[in-house]
Amino acid sequence: MADRLPMVDKLWFILPEVALFLGVVVIFIMGLSHSKRVRDMLPMITCLSLAVAFGLTWWVYEGSRGQTLLSVNPNLMLMPMVGKYVKMSACAIGIILAMVSVGSVDRRLEAAVAAGHLPFDPIRANRGEFYAFFLLSLMGVMLTCNANDLIWLFLALELTSLPTYIMVAISRPPRVAQEAAVKYFFLGAMATAIFLYGFALLYGSTGTMILTEMQRAFAAQAKADVVNSFGIIGMILAMLGICFKIAAAPMHFYAADVYEGAAAPVTAFLAFVPKTAGMVAIILLLTTLGWSGHPSTGLPEPIMTTLWMIAVLTMTLGNLGALLQRSVKRILAYSSIAHSGYMLIGVIAGPANNGINAVLFYLLVYGIMNTAAFAVLAALERRGQEIETMEDLAGLRIKHPGMAVVMAIASGSLLGVPPLLGFFAKLYLFIAGIQAGQIVLVVIAGLNTAISAWYYLGLVTLPIMAKPSAQSETIVRSPFPWPRIAGIVTAVAVVVLPLFLGPLIRASQAATTPASLTTGVTISK
Amino acid sequence: MNWAADSCAFFAAVQPLGQLALSHYLITSAALFAIGLIGFLSRRNMIIMFLCTELMFQAAAIAMIAFSRFHLDVSGQVFVIFILTVAAAEAALALGLVVLLYRRRETLNADVWSELRETPTP
Repeated sequence: MADRLPMVDKLWFILPEVALFLGVVVIFIMGLSHSKRVRDMLPMITCLSLAVAFGLTWWVYEGSRGQTLLSVNPNLMLMPMVGKYVKMSACAIGIILAMVSVGSVDRRLEAAVAAGHLPFDPIRANRGEFYAFFLLSLMGVMLTCNANDLIWLFLALELTSLPTYIMVAISRPPRVAQEAAVKYFFLGAMATAIFLYGFALLYGSTGTMILTEMQRAFAAQAKADVVNSFGIIGMILAMLGICFKIAAAPMHFYAADVYEGAAAPVTAFLAFVPKTAGMVAIILLLTTLGWSGHPSTGLPEPIMTTLWMIAVLTMTLGNLGALLQRSVKRILAYSSIAHSGYMLIGVIAGPANNGINAVLFYLLVYGIMNTAAFAVLAALERRGQEIETMEDLAGLRIKHPGMAVVMAIASGSLLGVPPLLGFFAKLYLFIAGIQAGQIVLVVIAGLNTAISAWYYLGLVTLPIMAKPSAQSETIVRSPFPWPRIAGIVTAVAVVVLPLFLGPLIRASQAATTPASLTTGVTISK
Repeated sequence: MNWAADSCAFFAAVQPLGQLALSHYLITSAALFAIGLIGFLSRRNMIIMFLCTELMFQAAAIAMIAFSRFHLDVSGQVFVIFILTVAAAEAALALGLVVLLYRRRETLNADVWSELRETPTP
């Protein structure tokens, strides 16, 4: 009991979130302004706050105060350095996502106001809310990394999810967006209840809410060979509930509908932000089990089996589902499910085999390449509607060569074509899986990658090689340049970042090095 | 005097929950959770579906409180306060969304909303 949480020390590490929150307040107020110029500045303020948070994160963790706090009290957080990596990648990708979302919310209202058809009414304007909730949800992800407490973890996960429900609802005017929001919300509430019940059982099993103490309690149980069945059931329930956030197998069925119903920028957001929060939460929870008790990778047998089944089901159902689709957004939704399955290989492999680093690296890479694909959808339109089907993409090179190339690069990277970033991320994951002795799992993942080639290659070849269809003739650029710029930036990143693979991988390794994980490994029986 | 000592003082006069009593509470909470889950999956009225998720939240809360008394540790009860707060936030959101949908279709039946679904390639 000597190391009770000094709350003040923890507050130091949420300085970036505090900065984001100030941004949220400013944005909420600016969204109500009658001046169009002020309202048009909202995405810029969003990017600015994220940039400030990015810088602050680095300063907070690398500065002398942060280093001292961490070395004085190693029990401050379960995995302290994960925070630095995940927060910085969340801020960087958040800036890109904010660029993609320029012009999507309130477009009709703004056009009507600009044309003088109706006066500006702050009650009907949603843009301020949209960007504020955008930042709040990113704040949720960032707070998840700092969680050292089930209460904190629960609140951070909810802070990630609740704003996204509203973002889906206000993302575009058609009815489908609201339908998507309701489906997403109800299933999300159910998933929350499930992992909450899991948390209750975890608490019952260990008698503490604090993750570092929970780790010790589980280690003691493993040593005495009496792992409490409450703990096992609780962990499985918690994982199932969090599977909703990462769109993994038993809770994945909402993804296609919700991704299709929401506007493309919001879909890109949903594919990255809740997934990151969910993955970090799963990693933190499994770390409390200490990765001990299992000879090869370190988790208790029932948990391993559950994870294994979730991983296999997720990637298989995701890839098979994508084969049947004609809508690009639904294909990308199923691909997002499949990618969660690949990431779970890293979770199964565990920190001893570089699995966790591989997952963290994959999250960043997935965020970049997936945003590139959605930026293309956001940058093109037909009569003010987003493009949706595969036919729309056919022969895009004639009129929109830049976007065609971006789409091809993004899909190639999602498939894992060698010189692109996605290949290295996938390779890193599979190597971790093989090191952990999960040969069968990696073979299944390889087969799944082969299946996914069918639809990804469609997305690569259609824009570049196919003849333009009657539908794709009518497509024009959206009047806002920012989604295009975001698409080009991310596509360039996908091509160029492999040259900087060393530093990136070292950064992801630094995220998982400190004591907490290694002590977890040493207590195995 | 730190937080732990405070909670010990609070519980000084209190007996921990026995195994048997704990199991009663846990059975109650598991039953509530199961009723909520079954209701959520079988009912189509959006308000009832929301009530069912609330039921599942409260099931978790009951389990927390019982465990809190069993372990003589106050943090379980603190968690319950946060659960109630988040449940209230979710209720506000749910009612907002349900009213939005009701204005469009004049019904609370969730099945009317089925524009988003699988459309396999011909």
